[in-house]
Amino acid sequence: MPSTLSLTVNGRSVSAPAEPGERLSRFLRERLGLTGLKEGCCEGECGACTVLLDGEPVNSCLVLALQAEGCEVVTVEGLSGDGLGDLQAMFIERGAVQCGYCTPGMLVAAEGLLRNNPEPTDAETRSALAGNICRCTGFQTIIDAVVATAAARGQAGDAA
Amino acid sequence: MSGPGFAAPASIAELGDVLTAAPRPLRLIAGGTDVLVAGRALPASGTLVDLTRIAAMRGIAVDARYLRIGACTPVAALCREAQVRALLPALADAAAQCGSVQIRNRATIGGNIANAAPAADLVPVLHAAAATLRILTTGGTIADAPIGEYLPDASGAILDVVIPLDPAWNRSGFAKLGPRREVTIARLNIAICAGFDGTRFGKVRIFAGAVAPRPRRLARVEAALAGRALDAATLRAFADALADEVNEATRGRASNAYKRRAVIGVGMDALAKTVGMDCDAHPFAGFSP
Repeated sequence: MPSTLSLTVNGRSVSAPAEPGERLSRFLRERLGLTGLKEGCCEGECGACTVLLDGEPVNSCLVLALQAEGCEVVTVEGLSGDGLGDLQAMFIERGAVQCGYCTPGMLVAAEGLLRNNPEPTDAETRSALAGNICRCTGFQTIIDAVVATAAARGQAGDAA
Repeated sequence: MSGPGFAAPASIAELGDVLTAAPRPLRLIAGGTDVLVAGRALPASGTLVDLTRIAAMRGIAVDARYLRIGACTPVAALCREAQVRALLPALADAAAQCGSVQIRNRATIGGNIANAAPAADLVPVLHAAAATLRILTTGGTIADAPIGEYLPDASGAILDVVIPLDPAWNRSGFAKLGPRREVTIARLNIAICAGFDGTRFGKVRIFAGAVAPRPRRLARVEAALAGRALDAATLRAFADALADEVNEATRGRASNAYKRRAVIGVGMDALAKTVGMDCDAHPFAGFSP
Protein backbone atom coordinates (compact mmCIF):
# COMPACT_ATOMS: atom_id res chain seq x y z
CA MET A 1 0.00 0.00 0.00
CA PRO A 2 1.43 3.40 -0.90
CA SER A 3 1.82 6.03 1.82
CA THR A 4 1.97 9.77 1.28
CA LEU A 5 5.51 11.08 1.47
CA SER A 6 6.14 14.74 2.31
CA LEU A 7 9.55 16.28 1.91
CA THR A 8 11.36 19.31 0.52
CA VAL A 9 12.85 18.90 -2.94
CA ASN A 10 14.99 21.66 -4.40
CA GLY A 11 13.52 24.10 -1.91
CA ARG A 12 9.88 23.24 -2.65
CA SER A 13 7.57 21.31 -0.30
CA VAL A 14 6.09 18.30 -2.08
CA SER A 15 3.80 15.40 -1.18
CA ALA A 16 3.29 12.32 -3.32
CA PRO A 17 2.47 8.64 -2.82
CA ALA A 18 5.32 6.14 -2.40
CA GLU A 19 5.36 2.37 -2.00
CA PRO A 20 7.24 0.88 1.00
CA GLY A 21 9.92 -0.73 -1.19
CA GLU A 22 10.27 2.22 -3.60
CA ARG A 23 13.72 3.74 -3.96
CA LEU A 24 14.16 7.49 -3.56
CA SER A 25 15.73 7.58 -7.04
CA ARG A 26 12.55 6.14 -8.59
CA PHE A 27 10.34 8.42 -6.54
CA LEU A 28 12.23 11.51 -7.71
CA ARG A 29 12.33 10.42 -11.35
CA GLU A 30 8.91 8.86 -11.82
CA ARG A 31 6.65 10.56 -9.28
CA LEU A 32 8.22 14.04 -9.42
CA GLY A 33 9.60 13.96 -12.97
CA LEU A 34 13.10 14.94 -11.87
CA THR A 35 14.87 12.90 -14.53
CA GLY A 36 18.20 14.69 -14.16
CA LEU A 37 19.46 12.05 -11.77
CA LYS A 38 20.19 8.70 -13.38
CA GLU A 39 19.97 5.16 -12.09
CA GLY A 40 23.16 3.52 -13.31
CA CYS A 41 23.99 0.44 -11.29
CA CYS A 42 21.42 0.50 -8.47
CA GLU A 43 24.05 -0.81 -6.08
CA GLY A 44 25.95 2.27 -4.97
CA GLU A 45 28.94 1.78 -7.25
CA CYS A 46 28.40 4.40 -9.97
CA GLY A 47 27.07 7.50 -8.17
CA ALA A 48 24.88 8.64 -11.10
CA CYS A 49 21.89 8.91 -8.74
CA THR A 50 23.68 11.12 -6.17
CA VAL A 51 21.48 13.68 -4.42
CA LEU A 52 22.05 15.81 -1.33
CA LEU A 53 19.97 14.44 1.53
CA ASP A 54 19.92 16.99 4.35
CA GLY A 55 23.06 18.47 2.79
CA GLU A 56 25.10 15.25 2.46
CA PRO A 57 25.72 13.38 -0.81
CA VAL A 58 24.04 9.96 -0.85
CA ASN A 59 23.15 7.37 -3.47
CA SER A 60 19.40 7.89 -3.88
CA CYS A 61 19.07 4.35 -5.30
CA LEU A 62 20.01 3.01 -1.84
CA VAL A 63 17.53 5.11 0.14
CA LEU A 64 13.90 4.10 0.50
CA ALA A 65 11.68 6.99 -0.53
CA LEU A 66 9.76 6.72 2.74
CA GLN A 67 13.01 7.13 4.68
CA ALA A 68 13.23 10.68 3.29
CA GLU A 69 10.03 11.79 5.06
CA GLY A 70 10.58 15.36 6.28
CA CYS A 71 14.05 15.56 4.71
CA GLU A 72 15.53 18.12 2.38
CA VAL A 73 16.62 16.77 -0.98
CA VAL A 74 18.64 18.57 -3.65
CA THR A 75 18.90 17.05 -7.14
CA VAL A 76 20.89 18.36 -10.08
CA GLU A 77 17.85 20.43 -11.05
CA GLY A 78 18.33 22.29 -7.77
CA LEU A 79 21.84 23.43 -8.67
CA SER A 80 20.69 25.87 -11.34
CA GLY A 81 18.65 28.98 -10.79
CA ASP A 82 17.53 30.95 -13.85
CA GLY A 83 20.33 29.48 -15.91
CA LEU A 84 23.21 27.09 -15.36
CA GLY A 85 24.90 27.13 -11.98
CA ASP A 86 28.60 28.06 -11.80
CA LEU A 87 29.69 24.44 -11.35
CA GLN A 88 27.63 23.34 -14.36
CA ALA A 89 29.04 26.17 -16.48
CA MET A 90 32.58 25.21 -15.45
CA PHE A 91 31.97 21.56 -16.42
CA ILE A 92 31.14 22.80 -19.92
CA GLU A 93 34.07 25.20 -20.05
CA ARG A 94 36.54 22.50 -18.99
CA GLY A 95 35.12 19.80 -21.28
CA ALA A 96 34.11 17.66 -18.30
CA VAL A 97 31.05 16.25 -20.08
CA GLN A 98 30.94 13.68 -22.85
CA CYS A 99 27.91 11.37 -22.88
CA GLY A 100 26.54 13.14 -19.80
CA TYR A 101 25.12 10.12 -17.99
CA CYS A 102 27.41 10.49 -14.96
CA THR A 103 27.30 14.28 -14.98
CA PRO A 104 24.28 14.94 -12.71
CA GLY A 105 25.77 12.70 -10.02
CA MET A 106 29.22 14.24 -10.45
CA LEU A 107 27.75 17.74 -10.12
CA VAL A 108 25.76 16.94 -6.99
CA ALA A 109 28.64 15.06 -5.33
CA ALA A 110 30.98 17.95 -6.17
CA GLU A 111 28.47 20.50 -4.84
CA GLY A 112 28.24 18.47 -1.62
CA LEU A 113 32.03 18.59 -1.36
CA LEU A 114 32.25 22.34 -1.98
CA ARG A 115 29.54 23.14 0.57
CA ASN A 116 31.41 21.20 3.28
CA ASN A 117 34.93 22.08 2.15
CA PRO A 118 35.08 25.27 0.04
CA GLU A 119 38.79 24.90 -0.76
CA PRO A 120 39.39 21.21 -1.43
CA THR A 121 42.78 19.96 -2.54
CA ASP A 122 43.14 17.88 -5.66
CA ALA A 123 43.38 14.75 -3.48
CA GLU A 124 40.29 15.67 -1.47
CA THR A 125 38.37 16.26 -4.69
CA ARG A 126 39.43 12.88 -6.08
CA SER A 127 38.41 11.17 -2.86
CA ALA A 128 35.05 12.96 -2.74
CA LEU A 129 34.28 11.86 -6.31
CA ALA A 130 35.62 8.30 -5.91
CA GLY A 131 32.02 7.07 -5.70
CA ASN A 132 31.16 8.56 -9.11
CA ILE A 133 32.21 6.69 -12.20
CA CYS A 134 32.63 8.23 -15.65
CA ARG A 135 33.25 5.84 -18.53
CA CYS A 136 33.89 8.47 -21.22
CA THR A 137 36.04 11.46 -20.47
CA GLY A 138 38.49 10.28 -17.94
CA PHE A 139 38.37 12.09 -14.68
CA GLN A 140 40.95 14.84 -15.04
CA THR A 141 38.70 17.45 -16.66
CA ILE A 142 36.03 16.77 -14.04
CA ILE A 143 38.53 17.28 -11.19
CA ASP A 144 39.80 20.41 -12.96
CA ALA A 145 36.27 21.82 -13.21
CA VAL A 146 35.56 21.26 -9.50
CA VAL A 147 38.87 22.78 -8.39
CA ALA A 148 38.36 25.76 -10.76
CA THR A 149 34.84 26.33 -9.40
CA ALA A 150 36.19 26.32 -5.85
CA ALA A 151 38.83 28.88 -6.86
CA ALA A 152 36.26 31.08 -8.62
CA ARG A 153 33.90 30.97 -5.63
CA GLY A 154 36.83 31.85 -3.35
CA GLN A 155 37.72 34.87 -5.49
CA ALA A 156 34.08 35.97 -5.63
CA GLY A 157 33.94 35.66 -1.83
CA ASP A 158 37.16 37.68 -1.42
CA ALA A 159 35.87 40.41 -3.72
CA ALA A 160 32.56 40.70 -1.87
CA MET B 1 0.05 -9.16 -3.81
CA SER B 2 0.05 -5.96 -1.80
CA GLY B 3 3.77 -5.96 -0.93
CA PRO B 4 5.37 -5.37 2.45
CA GLY B 5 4.23 -2.80 4.98
CA PHE B 6 6.45 -0.06 6.30
CA ALA B 7 7.15 0.83 9.91
CA ALA B 8 9.29 3.73 11.08
CA PRO B 9 9.39 3.54 14.87
CA ALA B 10 10.53 6.75 16.58
CA SER B 11 11.83 5.19 19.79
CA ILE B 12 13.31 1.95 21.09
CA ALA B 13 10.02 1.23 22.86
CA GLU B 14 8.15 1.57 19.57
CA LEU B 15 10.77 -0.62 17.87
CA GLY B 16 10.14 -3.25 20.54
CA ASP B 17 6.44 -3.21 19.67
CA VAL B 18 7.21 -3.53 15.96
CA LEU B 19 9.67 -6.40 16.49
CA THR B 20 7.22 -8.38 18.60
CA ALA B 21 3.98 -7.69 16.73
CA ALA B 22 4.49 -6.51 13.11
CA PRO B 23 3.63 -8.92 10.28
CA ARG B 24 6.49 -11.29 9.41
CA PRO B 25 8.94 -11.51 7.73
CA LEU B 26 10.67 -8.45 9.19
CA ARG B 27 13.39 -6.75 7.17
CA LEU B 28 15.33 -4.18 9.16
CA ILE B 29 16.79 -1.30 7.18
CA ALA B 30 19.03 1.53 8.31
CA GLY B 31 21.38 3.06 5.72
CA GLY B 32 20.14 0.65 3.03
CA THR B 33 23.54 0.40 1.35
CA ASP B 34 23.47 -3.41 1.57
CA VAL B 35 19.73 -4.13 1.85
CA LEU B 36 18.74 -2.16 -1.27
CA VAL B 37 21.46 -3.34 -3.63
CA ALA B 38 19.76 -4.37 -6.89
CA GLY B 39 19.31 -8.09 -7.21
CA ARG B 40 18.63 -8.61 -3.51
CA ALA B 41 14.88 -8.93 -3.51
CA LEU B 42 12.91 -7.20 -0.79
CA PRO B 43 10.31 -9.45 0.83
CA ALA B 44 6.98 -9.57 -1.02
CA SER B 45 5.09 -9.41 2.27
CA GLY B 46 5.76 -8.70 5.93
CA THR B 47 7.26 -5.43 7.18
CA LEU B 48 10.14 -3.15 6.24
CA VAL B 49 11.35 -1.64 9.50
CA ASP B 50 13.18 1.69 9.12
CA LEU B 51 15.58 2.21 12.03
CA THR B 52 16.76 5.69 11.05
CA ARG B 53 14.07 7.63 12.96
CA ILE B 54 15.29 6.43 16.37
CA ALA B 55 17.55 9.14 17.78
CA ALA B 56 18.64 6.91 20.68
CA MET B 57 20.29 4.55 18.17
CA ARG B 58 22.63 7.25 16.83
CA GLY B 59 25.68 8.88 18.36
CA ILE B 60 28.96 8.22 20.10
CA ALA B 61 29.47 8.42 23.87
CA VAL B 62 32.56 7.84 25.99
CA ASP B 63 32.94 7.27 29.70
CA ALA B 64 35.86 5.96 31.75
CA ARG B 65 35.25 2.34 30.76
CA TYR B 66 33.46 2.19 27.44
CA LEU B 67 33.16 3.67 23.99
CA ARG B 68 29.49 3.30 23.03
CA ILE B 69 28.37 3.72 19.44
CA GLY B 70 24.70 3.69 18.48
CA ALA B 71 24.02 1.06 15.84
CA CYS B 72 22.58 3.61 13.39
CA THR B 73 25.58 5.92 13.63
CA PRO B 74 26.77 6.48 10.06
CA VAL B 75 30.19 5.26 9.03
CA ALA B 76 31.07 8.88 8.09
CA ALA B 77 30.69 9.90 11.75
CA LEU B 78 33.21 7.23 12.78
CA CYS B 79 35.87 8.78 10.51
CA ARG B 80 35.03 12.33 11.66
CA GLU B 81 34.69 11.85 15.39
CA ALA B 82 37.90 12.76 17.25
CA GLN B 83 37.08 10.43 20.13
CA VAL B 84 36.97 7.39 17.85
CA ARG B 85 40.23 8.47 16.20
CA ALA B 86 41.87 8.86 19.63
CA LEU B 87 40.50 5.75 21.37
CA LEU B 88 40.29 3.22 18.54
CA PRO B 89 42.14 4.53 15.49
CA ALA B 90 41.72 1.18 13.72
CA LEU B 91 37.96 1.77 13.64
CA ALA B 92 38.36 5.30 12.27
CA ASP B 93 40.73 3.99 9.58
CA ALA B 94 38.44 1.11 8.65
CA ALA B 95 35.49 3.53 8.44
CA ALA B 96 37.45 5.92 6.22
CA GLN B 97 38.18 3.09 3.76
CA CYS B 98 34.59 1.82 3.66
CA GLY B 99 32.85 2.55 0.33
CA SER B 100 32.49 6.07 -1.07
CA VAL B 101 31.46 9.38 0.52
CA GLN B 102 27.88 8.62 -0.51
CA ILE B 103 28.02 5.14 1.06
CA ARG B 104 29.69 6.36 4.26
CA ASN B 105 27.01 9.02 4.73
CA ARG B 106 24.30 6.33 4.83
CA ALA B 107 25.93 3.05 5.89
CA THR B 108 25.81 2.34 9.62
CA ILE B 109 28.04 0.44 12.04
CA GLY B 110 25.11 -1.79 13.02
CA GLY B 111 24.38 -2.52 9.39
CA ASN B 112 27.99 -3.50 8.72
CA ILE B 113 27.69 -6.07 11.55
CA ALA B 114 24.19 -7.29 10.64
CA ASN B 115 24.95 -7.65 6.93
CA ALA B 116 27.80 -9.96 7.97
CA ALA B 117 29.70 -9.78 4.69
CA PRO B 118 32.95 -11.78 4.93
CA ALA B 119 34.79 -8.69 3.63
CA ALA B 120 33.17 -6.20 6.07
CA ASP B 121 35.75 -3.62 7.14
CA LEU B 122 34.48 -2.54 10.56
CA VAL B 123 33.75 -6.03 11.85
CA PRO B 124 37.33 -7.41 12.24
CA VAL B 125 38.20 -4.25 14.20
CA LEU B 126 35.21 -4.80 16.50
CA HIS B 127 36.27 -8.42 17.06
CA ALA B 128 39.84 -7.35 17.86
CA ALA B 129 38.48 -4.70 20.26
CA ALA B 130 36.29 -7.34 22.01
CA ALA B 131 33.11 -5.36 21.36
CA THR B 132 29.79 -6.32 22.90
CA LEU B 133 26.46 -5.73 21.17
CA ARG B 134 23.32 -4.57 22.96
CA ILE B 135 20.47 -6.22 21.11
CA LEU B 136 16.70 -5.76 21.19
CA THR B 137 15.43 -9.28 20.56
CA THR B 138 12.38 -10.11 18.49
CA GLY B 139 10.78 -11.10 21.81
CA GLY B 140 11.14 -7.47 22.95
CA THR B 141 13.86 -8.02 25.57
CA ILE B 142 17.32 -6.42 25.61
CA ALA B 143 20.34 -8.72 25.73
CA ASP B 144 24.11 -8.22 25.57
CA ALA B 145 26.19 -10.50 23.38
CA PRO B 146 29.90 -10.57 22.56
CA ILE B 147 30.24 -9.81 18.86
CA GLY B 148 31.63 -13.31 18.29
CA GLU B 149 28.31 -14.83 19.38
CA TYR B 150 26.07 -12.59 17.28
CA LEU B 151 23.88 -14.44 14.76
CA PRO B 152 22.73 -12.02 12.04
CA ASP B 153 19.38 -13.54 11.08
CA ALA B 154 18.25 -14.67 14.51
CA SER B 155 19.29 -11.99 16.95
CA GLY B 156 16.95 -9.00 16.55
CA ALA B 157 18.00 -5.36 16.21
CA ILE B 158 21.44 -4.20 17.31
CA LEU B 159 20.98 -1.07 19.46
CA ASP B 160 24.56 -0.23 20.47
CA VAL B 161 28.12 -1.37 19.98
CA VAL B 162 30.00 -1.23 23.28
CA ILE B 163 33.78 -1.24 23.20
CA PRO B 164 35.71 -1.68 26.46
CA LEU B 165 38.43 0.87 27.12
CA ASP B 166 41.48 -0.54 28.92
CA PRO B 167 44.90 1.13 29.13
CA ALA B 168 46.49 -2.32 28.69
CA TRP B 169 45.18 -2.15 25.08
CA ASN B 170 46.49 1.27 24.12
CA ARG B 171 47.11 0.73 20.39
CA SER B 172 45.21 -0.41 17.33
CA GLY B 173 45.76 -0.63 13.60
CA PHE B 174 43.82 -1.59 10.47
CA ALA B 175 44.93 -2.22 6.91
CA LYS B 176 43.04 -3.37 3.85
CA LEU B 177 43.85 -4.65 0.40
CA GLY B 178 41.33 -4.34 -2.41
CA PRO B 179 41.34 -4.20 -6.20
CA ARG B 180 41.46 -0.39 -6.14
CA ARG B 181 42.26 2.29 -3.60
CA GLU B 182 38.79 3.66 -2.89
CA VAL B 183 35.25 2.24 -3.07
CA THR B 184 36.71 -1.21 -2.91
CA ILE B 185 35.66 -4.47 -1.30
CA ALA B 186 38.46 -5.98 0.77
CA ARG B 187 40.28 -8.97 -0.63
CA LEU B 188 41.98 -9.03 2.76
CA ASN B 189 41.88 -6.89 5.85
CA ILE B 190 43.69 -7.12 9.18
CA ALA B 191 42.76 -5.53 12.49
CA ILE B 192 45.10 -5.41 15.48
CA CYS B 193 44.48 -4.30 19.06
CA ALA B 194 47.50 -4.42 21.34
CA GLY B 195 49.36 -3.08 24.29
CA PHE B 196 52.63 -1.47 23.22
CA ASP B 197 54.99 0.61 25.35
CA GLY B 198 57.17 1.93 22.54
CA THR B 199 59.51 -1.07 22.40
CA ARG B 200 57.63 -4.16 23.55
CA PHE B 201 54.16 -5.63 22.96
CA GLY B 202 51.86 -6.63 25.80
CA LYS B 203 48.62 -8.45 24.99
CA VAL B 204 47.61 -8.72 21.33
CA ARG B 205 44.39 -9.58 19.49
CA ILE B 206 44.42 -9.93 15.70
CA PHE B 207 41.57 -10.73 13.30
CA ALA B 208 41.61 -11.13 9.53
CA GLY B 209 38.64 -10.42 7.26
CA ALA B 210 37.84 -11.92 3.84
CA VAL B 211 39.65 -15.19 4.54
CA ALA B 212 36.64 -17.04 5.99
CA PRO B 213 32.86 -16.54 6.34
CA ARG B 214 33.45 -14.54 9.53
CA PRO B 215 36.49 -12.61 10.81
CA ARG B 216 39.11 -15.16 11.79
CA ARG B 217 41.21 -14.83 14.92
CA LEU B 218 44.88 -15.39 14.17
CA ALA B 219 46.10 -16.87 17.47
CA ARG B 220 49.55 -17.85 16.24
CA VAL B 221 50.12 -14.38 14.84
CA GLU B 222 49.11 -12.91 18.19
CA ALA B 223 51.59 -15.26 19.93
CA ALA B 224 54.38 -14.08 17.61
CA LEU B 225 53.96 -10.55 19.00
CA ALA B 226 52.64 -10.88 22.57
CA GLY B 227 55.30 -10.00 25.13
CA ARG B 228 58.00 -9.56 22.46
CA ALA B 229 60.17 -6.61 21.54
CA LEU B 230 59.56 -4.93 18.18
CA ASP B 231 62.60 -6.10 16.22
CA ALA B 232 63.46 -7.90 13.01
CA ALA B 233 63.15 -11.37 14.57
CA THR B 234 59.65 -10.58 15.87
CA LEU B 235 58.62 -9.23 12.46
CA ARG B 236 59.90 -12.39 10.79
CA ALA B 237 57.91 -14.58 13.18
CA PHE B 238 54.83 -12.33 12.64
CA ALA B 239 55.13 -12.60 8.84
CA ASP B 240 55.61 -16.38 8.92
CA ALA B 241 52.63 -16.88 11.23
CA LEU B 242 50.41 -14.65 9.04
CA ALA B 243 51.29 -16.63 5.92
CA ASP B 244 50.72 -19.96 7.71
CA GLU B 245 47.36 -19.03 9.18
CA VAL B 246 45.98 -17.48 6.00
CA ASN B 247 47.27 -20.45 4.01
CA GLU B 248 45.25 -22.73 6.30
CA ALA B 249 42.17 -20.50 6.25
CA THR B 250 42.02 -20.32 2.45
CA ARG B 251 43.34 -23.80 1.54
CA GLY B 252 41.63 -25.20 -1.54
CA ARG B 253 40.37 -21.82 -2.73
CA ALA B 254 41.55 -20.12 -5.91
CA SER B 255 42.63 -17.06 -3.94
CA ASN B 256 44.99 -19.06 -1.69
CA ALA B 257 48.20 -18.48 -3.64
CA TYR B 258 47.54 -14.74 -3.68
CA LYS B 259 46.23 -14.25 -0.15
CA ARG B 260 48.87 -16.24 1.69
CA ARG B 261 51.52 -13.93 0.25
CA ALA B 262 49.58 -10.67 0.17
CA VAL B 263 48.61 -10.96 3.83
CA ILE B 264 52.21 -10.30 4.84
CA GLY B 265 52.13 -6.83 3.31
CA VAL B 266 48.67 -6.09 4.72
CA GLY B 267 49.76 -7.33 8.16
CA MET B 268 52.92 -5.21 8.08
CA ASP B 269 50.85 -2.12 7.18
CA ALA B 270 48.44 -2.82 10.06
CA LEU B 271 51.31 -3.41 12.49
CA ALA B 272 53.15 -0.25 11.44
CA LYS B 273 49.97 1.73 12.12
CA THR B 274 49.53 -0.06 15.47
CA VAL B 275 52.99 0.97 16.69
CA GLY B 276 52.75 4.42 15.09
CA MET B 277 55.59 3.95 12.61
CA ASP B 278 56.01 4.42 8.93
CA CYS B 279 56.41 1.18 6.98
CA ASP B 280 59.77 2.56 5.79
CA ALA B 281 61.02 3.11 9.37
CA HIS B 282 63.33 0.78 11.27
CA PRO B 283 62.73 -2.15 11.96
CA PHE B 284 60.20 -2.33 9.11
CA ALA B 285 62.73 -0.83 6.68
CA GLY B 286 64.10 -3.36 4.28
CA PHE B 287 61.85 -6.09 5.64
CA SER B 288 61.20 -8.39 2.74
CA PRO B 289 58.23 -10.75 2.94
